[in-house]
Amino acid sequence: MSTHDQHGSGRTARRPWRARLLAAAGACALLLASGAVAPPVSADEGEGGGDSTLTVAVAQSVDSLSPFLAVRLLSTSIHKLTYEYLTNYDAKDNHVIPGLATEWKASPDKLTWTYKIRSDSKWSDGQQATAEDAAWTFNKMMTDPGAATANGSFVGNFEKVTAPSPTELVIRLKKPQATMTALDVPIVPKHVWEKVGDLSKFNNDKDFPVVGNGPFVLTDYKPDSYVRLKANKDFWRGAPKFDNLIFRYYKDQDAAVAALRKGEVSFVAGSPSLTPAQADSLKGEENIRVNDAPGRRFYALATNPGARAKDGTKFGDGDPSLLDQRVRNALFMAVDRKAIVDRVFQGHAVEGAGYIPPRFSQYFYEPAAGQELAYDPAGAAKLLDEAGYRTNGDGKRVGKDGKPLNYRVLCHATDPNDKAVGKYLQEWWGDLGISITLDCLDNVTDPWLAGKYDLAFDGWSVNPDPDFVLSIHTCAALPATPKDTGATDNFICDKKYDELYARQLGEYDTGKRADVVKQMQSRLYDTGYMNVMAYPNAVEAYRTDQIESITTMPSAAGNIYGQDGYWSWWSAVPADSGDSSGGSSSTGTVIGIVAGVVVLVGLGVLFAVRRRATADERE
Amino acid sequence: MTAETTENPAGPPGKAADAPSPRALARRRRRASAARFWKEYRAHRAGLFGLAALTLFVLVALTAPLTVGSDVDSVTDAPGQPLESPSGRFPLGTDQFGRDLLGLLVWGSRVSLLVGLLAAALSVAIGAVIGITAGHFRGWYATVMMRITDWFLVMPTLVLAIVLATVMSRSLGTIVLAIGVTTWPTTARLVRAQTLAVESRPYIERARALGGGHWHVMSRHVLPNVMPLVLAQTTLIISSAILAEATLAFLGLGDPTVVSWGGLLQDAREAGSVSSGDWWYLVPPGVGIAVVALAFTLCGRAVEAVLNPRLGVSR
Repeated sequence: MSTHDQHGSGRTARRPWRARLLAAAGACALLLASGAVAPPVSADEGEGGGDSTLTVAVAQSVDSLSPFLAVRLLSTSIHKLTYEYLTNYDAKDNHVIPGLATEWKASPDKLTWTYKIRSDSKWSDGQQATAEDAAWTFNKMMTDPGAATANGSFVGNFEKVTAPSPTELVIRLKKPQATMTALDVPIVPKHVWEKVGDLSKFNNDKDFPVVGNGPFVLTDYKPDSYVRLKANKDFWRGAPKFDNLIFRYYKDQDAAVAALRKGEVSFVAGSPSLTPAQADSLKGEENIRVNDAPGRRFYALATNPGARAKDGTKFGDGDPSLLDQRVRNALFMAVDRKAIVDRVFQGHAVEGAGYIPPRFSQYFYEPAAGQELAYDPAGAAKLLDEAGYRTNGDGKRVGKDGKPLNYRVLCHATDPNDKAVGKYLQEWWGDLGISITLDCLDNVTDPWLAGKYDLAFDGWSVNPDPDFVLSIHTCAALPATPKDTGATDNFICDKKYDELYARQLGEYDTGKRADVVKQMQSRLYDTGYMNVMAYPNAVEAYRTDQIESITTMPSAAGNIYGQDGYWSWWSAVPADSGDSSGGSSSTGTVIGIVAGVVVLVGLGVLFAVRRRATADERE
Repeated sequence: MTAETTENPAGPPGKAADAPSPRALARRRRRASAARFWKEYRAHRAGLFGLAALTLFVLVALTAPLTVGSDVDSVTDAPGQPLESPSGRFPLGTDQFGRDLLGLLVWGSRVSLLVGLLAAALSVAIGAVIGITAGHFRGWYATVMMRITDWFLVMPTLVLAIVLATVMSRSLGTIVLAIGVTTWPTTARLVRAQTLAVESRPYIERARALGGGHWHVMSRHVLPNVMPLVLAQTTLIISSAILAEATLAFLGLGDPTVVSWGGLLQDAREAGSVSSGDWWYLVPPGVGIAVVALAFTLCGRAVEAVLNPRLGVSR
């Protein structure tokens, strides 16, 4: 389902860091970490003299470096650093601020938008970034389906995009669109990209450095290993303080934490979050700061509403009892969300309510007192009785076909939280008389797209503009036929929800739009298709002896990795003692090598002695 | 081994009337050989140690429902706080759900032992059948079977097991199957070699001349002779099967709702206890796996040494 991971709203729960198999070598990795990982660091030291380098440990690999194809959180974060967007979000409170466009206005009929493009932004090959580049980017996405893979949803409603002058961009819409100041589309240089043939196959990872105009320039990339960026000294907002930025891929979070402890990386990304045990142990460490920020993700239990395509064909094999809203609500009423926050997340999360996390206070919705499906196992049992799912002699609830209910719950084998919550669900629903089968898979995409699940663990990161996460539950997002892949998250198609969705998209007044968005969430809450259990915090950690200061977003209690913008890495200030880290890591390398040699020699000696001892016994 | 045999092929048929019945004779002979076996086994101190350790583990596993109860893996009624270090109340501390790790360790031994035994039995059964038939029938059948065996032999066992466990649904049966199906080739090779050796003996030819069919030769003459080998092989494979089960569970391919030692290690790793130094979560399951595997290996070696005179000296 990686196609769903639009513009950085990476569905982190489905992130494909499934190469966990190799984690069997975890112990070896820990041992070898110093030896295997250190050389690139020392190489930096060599090439740039006093260059400062910020190394970030990430648990995700790059899907594509092409802005037209990339959907994972890491790739889109890199694009935010290397390309400009028309608008950006303020680091303090997420409000829209100028990006490549300095100002913008809509015509009275709300259908024509005019953007003024800044004249002080240059591509890294020296050419001026103009409105022509922006127009070419949008036109390409409108005409070439291959270019619409990642961000096509933004231009679906565009009629015409033109650039009357190098500093003016005009977009003509078919219908009013509220997301016009939140177009999360990287603008690419026309003079480079028009030479590319098939955009659906071009991954932008051959010619380095990659031409861009963001605060950093992409200089090197090795699949499943690292992405290297260099500061853009001419960046119009000011040059970044660090000279180099490296995203290094760690398959195993424990290895990343060990690397942070040793100073080999400066930062461990909180996606996936550090576990409570890791966070607690790092908190006591000198020179390490743990940033525990309210996340931008929700963590939900999705129920299969009966998968179907736009042409009306039903497919998949969701349990028919889940088509009854009372059953869905009863299931959620038997889920103790407080216990999940306290026990599984150990306080590093906020109890779930509406669809959009409380961090986006403007759109945050909480169910009213009478509407709330609070934890109430007795009430849940009553509701199930009313719905006609009564218990049989063995205490099991039976479906309409006379067989005991048993739901398959799709869970991500890569996410420990899924498994942990699954254990609780098994016991809570077991008390109701419903058994579950926990299907923990590395790749949940196939059964998911085929509708072959009853319930599933689901999670999305939410952008400051909620349009995208709302759009994935509309009928329009359903796949065209059962064979196609739609943008839909969970095959939800609800008329009332769709009406509200259309209303919010056409509403330019932010206050009124927020009201409609809340109504949509209320509707979603009642239907019981998306039951939000918690909003997990982003728990990340960095070395204060390498990074003196770094911007969180929002500035009060915000996250650092995976921001809506380039603020964290652009603003990070190297600490004075930063260079000593290189020294310590090379000391670590030396120690590692010496230890390795000692072990090998020891083994050799032992072997020789053994051979001699048994020499006369051997044939 | 030829347990319910009704005739004694070695006994002279004519004098059966005044001598003890053939059944009694066979029983007496078996008792004598068992005593002899035990006497020789006792001489192997390591084997005795392995046996004692095994008895202990089996007792612990069998009595687990009485000592710790099946509620030990309940997360909603977990008695402690998450990741408590060892204390008087929780001798081995608690896991990330606040469950008692000692209890989980005891409960997990059931799954680890069960899977180890079943997988080893399956593996040895497949290996013995293929080995005996290939050694007996020879010709194209043997060629085909041995090429298949070779193919499985060169396949990296773990990779194949991972593929099988991924493709099939997650359950204990799958794990047993995945391990059993991937570890049989060595047994097949050994058994075939022994079968060939046995079948070249003159008495097999005599049995054939007297009208003994394929089944008779294989089950009455070959099987009893390869049985010691199979027995020793089983004990040795159990330990590798237990290790394989732990590996698969550690890699997250086991049934996540079942508590096993490998699963505990996997849980510990996912909870981040490696980097946070919560040793009480990691060490006990690891030690458990190591000790049981060692115990089975020691027993297997001792049995092998007793049954195979050529190994002779116990080193």
